Amino acid sequence: MANPDETLFLWINGLVGAMPIVDGAAQIAASDYLTPAILAFALIALWFGERDAEVRLRQQVGVFVALSSMGLSGLVVFILNMFYFRPRPFVDLDVNLLFYQPTDSSFPANSAAAAFGMAFGIWGVNRRLGWFAIGVAGLYGLARVYAGVHYPLDILAGAAIAAVVVFAVFRISDLVMPILAAIIKVARILRLA
Amino acid sequence: MISFTADYCIAVFISTLGVLQFAFSLGGLRGLLFFKSAVVARTLGLATAILGFALFFGTGTRNINDYEGGLDAPDQALFFSLSALAAFATTILISSLVNYRMKAEDFKPDAGLDALRDSNYASALVGSLMYWRSNWRTLTKRYFSG
Repeated sequence: MANPDETLFLWINGLVGAMPIVDGAAQIAASDYLTPAILAFALIALWFGERDAEVRLRQQVGVFVALSSMGLSGLVVFILNMFYFRPRPFVDLDVNLLFYQPTDSSFPANSAAAAFGMAFGIWGVNRRLGWFAIGVAGLYGLARVYAGVHYPLDILAGAAIAAVVVFAVFRISDLVMPILAAIIKVARILRLA
Repeated sequence: MISFTADYCIAVFISTLGVLQFAFSLGGLRGLLFFKSAVVARTLGLATAILGFALFFGTGTRNINDYEGGLDAPDQALFFSLSALAAFATTILISSLVNYRMKAEDFKPDAGLDALRDSNYASALVGSLMYWRSNWRTLTKRYFSG
């Protein structure tokens, strides 16, 4: 019986070549540089783009949560990859590759874990911006499958790890709130928060 | 490698200038805006944010592995932070010059960013620091005690 993850991958990646404009867009969307930058810009908007001081404080705490979640999600993936290595799709299958050939493990997707870590962190404090960020992270994951460097399950696993990490970091953030509050207070004196 | 990194830094710098103007406009921080009109600030901000990365992706191959001239994650985080900080410093400088008539009146330490609604950054920062300098004992005790 065919592996459903591989079947779905082959169907999505099989669309490459049908529309060159979509291939070009997917290459940009799958890039290592665009999505992380967009999500970082969303954090800047979260920090500065709120008029209500109370809501702004909550969002600024959210920026710390999102950044911590991004780093911790990457750490969890790194630890998992010490015990499990899944070859990239282009190693085992006949793939339409639109990307360079990464050498690290395909599962779970490190890029998706980091992107969803930031996106879920943003969603935790600002639903509107959060949905936008989740959409950007989702497109990033889809583009990576389309480009031939990840299986769909790699992306889903990365997103699931990020969701668990963000939930844990939000819980823990209450414990470190005095430290975060002190940092934000100093930033206020410098007119930065 | 150097050219790729420089291209990336320039893209982040340009885009951050735009994102900051957009965000400051949303937050009503008039003292940090280059243009007083919210519509102009947001439109130009968005256009500049797009321009930065349009230049980056439009001027070369960008899907490159880190050992072939691309940036690995830590380098990317470092260069993004440095470029964004440079854009923020530039914004502070330009907006303080453009809005030099907006002088600080609210020296309350709690005001934070809200002081920048009616004051340029340089004036608000100097006012805040001078206020702290003359009241630091009482303020430190009160401000950081819960």
